[in-house]
Amino acid sequence: MALQRCIFQATKQYIARTSFHSNFKQSYCELRHKFSTKVPRKFTDRHEWIVVENNVGTVGISNYAQESLGDVVFAQLPDPGTELKAGDECGALESVKAASEIYSPLSGNVSEKNKDVENKPGLINSSCYDKGWLFKIKLSKPEELNDLMSEEQYQTFLKTDTEETHT
Amino acid sequence: MAQSMLNKIVVNGACIVGIVGRNVGYRPTTTIKGYATQLKERMLVPEEKVTKSVFMSQSTDIYANLALEDWMYKNMDFSNHHVMMVWRNEPCVVIGRHQNPWQEANIPLLNEREIALARRSSGGGTVYHDRGNLNVTFFTPFERYDRKYNLELITRALYRGFGINATINERQDIIVSGTASKLGRLTAYHHCTLLVNSNKEDLKKSLAKREHGIQTKATPSTPSPIANLSELDNRVTIDSLQTAVGYEYLRTPALHLADGGQSLINKQRGFQFINPTDEWFPGLNNIKKELQSWDWCYGKTPEFTVSRTFPVPPELLAPALVYSATQELVINMSVEKGLISDVTLSIPPGLVESGFHGQASVITHLKGKRFTSEALNALEEAMLTKRSNSDVKKLDDREQFVAKCFDQVVNTN
Repeated sequence: MALQRCIFQATKQYIARTSFHSNFKQSYCELRHKFSTKVPRKFTDRHEWIVVENNVGTVGISNYAQESLGDVVFAQLPDPGTELKAGDECGALESVKAASEIYSPLSGNVSEKNKDVENKPGLINSSCYDKGWLFKIKLSKPEELNDLMSEEQYQTFLKTDTEETHT
Repeated sequence: MAQSMLNKIVVNGACIVGIVGRNVGYRPTTTIKGYATQLKERMLVPEEKVTKSVFMSQSTDIYANLALEDWMYKNMDFSNHHVMMVWRNEPCVVIGRHQNPWQEANIPLLNEREIALARRSSGGGTVYHDRGNLNVTFFTPFERYDRKYNLELITRALYRGFGINATINERQDIIVSGTASKLGRLTAYHHCTLLVNSNKEDLKKSLAKREHGIQTKATPSTPSPIANLSELDNRVTIDSLQTAVGYEYLRTPALHLADGGQSLINKQRGFQFINPTDEWFPGLNNIKKELQSWDWCYGKTPEFTVSRTFPVPPELLAPALVYSATQELVINMSVEKGLISDVTLSIPPGLVESGFHGQASVITHLKGKRFTSEALNALEEAMLTKRSNSDVKKLDDREQFVAKCFDQVVNTN
């Protein structure tokens, strides 16, 4: 009886350890992948960002946009399968009392929308560059990426843009 | 005096107006340059070069007026010309872009009283309009969207025109108004509605919260206390308010609150009557049709579920059985894009025995049906065709009870 229990405990521990180990390994890989990625984030003048990997772009809004919108209460995102041209209106973010249009930074076909954001729009405020991404798009004209601003250019753009509105 | 001057300007304005639809900045919709570079090169003119107009819509059709707003938003360039539009409507309820009409409005009452229901493209909550309230829309370039300025301007007009001290609360509502905005890439607009002598009873009834059992992520409305301006001062009428707000707009510089007086008014483009028709604004009819469609007004509703429970009257239950508690009919539905995507009816045993068979097939009949009397009709039809004796074309008491409960869920009466 005691032996049985002992074997049971040992098995349990073993399972726990191995599964922990595999989890750890997996998340480590993910993290490494996330932070070692050298794919630059590009920006539009309406404060959307896009990161392109294997011809699929992930789109979100910048921290500046998130801050100026305030608490997002509703996210209307494009459905997978939607064909979009660069600059097309493809959804809206509603914060307290203003609906802000979302524009597609590049042309392509929507492959996925972020359901988590639809269920919890606050993610856009709390994690605009990570969990708060909006949709993924399979690019039809990857060369358009060159028209967008680099992170650096966007920062300069922000400076001039905000100066203009405050003067 | 002010009134006669207004008329004069309006007459002058009428001539100018023809231009509005045609010349004033059709924005090139296709750009040769990349999307990103287009806006960076856009130069905003300095404040003193911005001129202003007050457009007075001659329509009282909510769909025509919303279509006009949308047309102006899409086709006009406001970079050196700011516009304030004033408009009124026949009785209607206007819900925000991401709202649920079944949750916000008293749909059966609207149907009965022929009050229109419209969905606008700006955010925010539900409002009631009738001839007793004045709607004001401010159009500016995106960069110059300034809600505070617009609302302050209205409070200044109320003070200058009538000596009324209105305050703006922390939600940036004026006590007497609802306010909402839409921000686009190039243009932004902000509209609000001022109650002058609205029918408060109808307002309350139209927006009355009913038992609906709806669960949703849709934007909820925040009910606010309401007051009519005419109660504060009987000189306030739609016309006098329109004049007061219009002049205040024209005498105020484009970007900051100050009084430019008569000399600034003279520099502006003045008051203009406009008619939201397809002749004046080519393409307006298509926008209007879209706004009137079921797919926009109801179909744009964010996903929701409904859950309602109805106690079954004992006389409808099979008498042979003994029940330990009140038997209940439970109706659960999921609705996507205004269409029923899933239904479960939990029918107590006593009611099932009564001849209402074939639940599953009833349910497949309901899928894809609109969350309206269309679904009710489908249910009734399914119950009729599923009967063992298909000669009788009338629902029995028990089936009628199920139909009646269902009717309450889809809000048809």
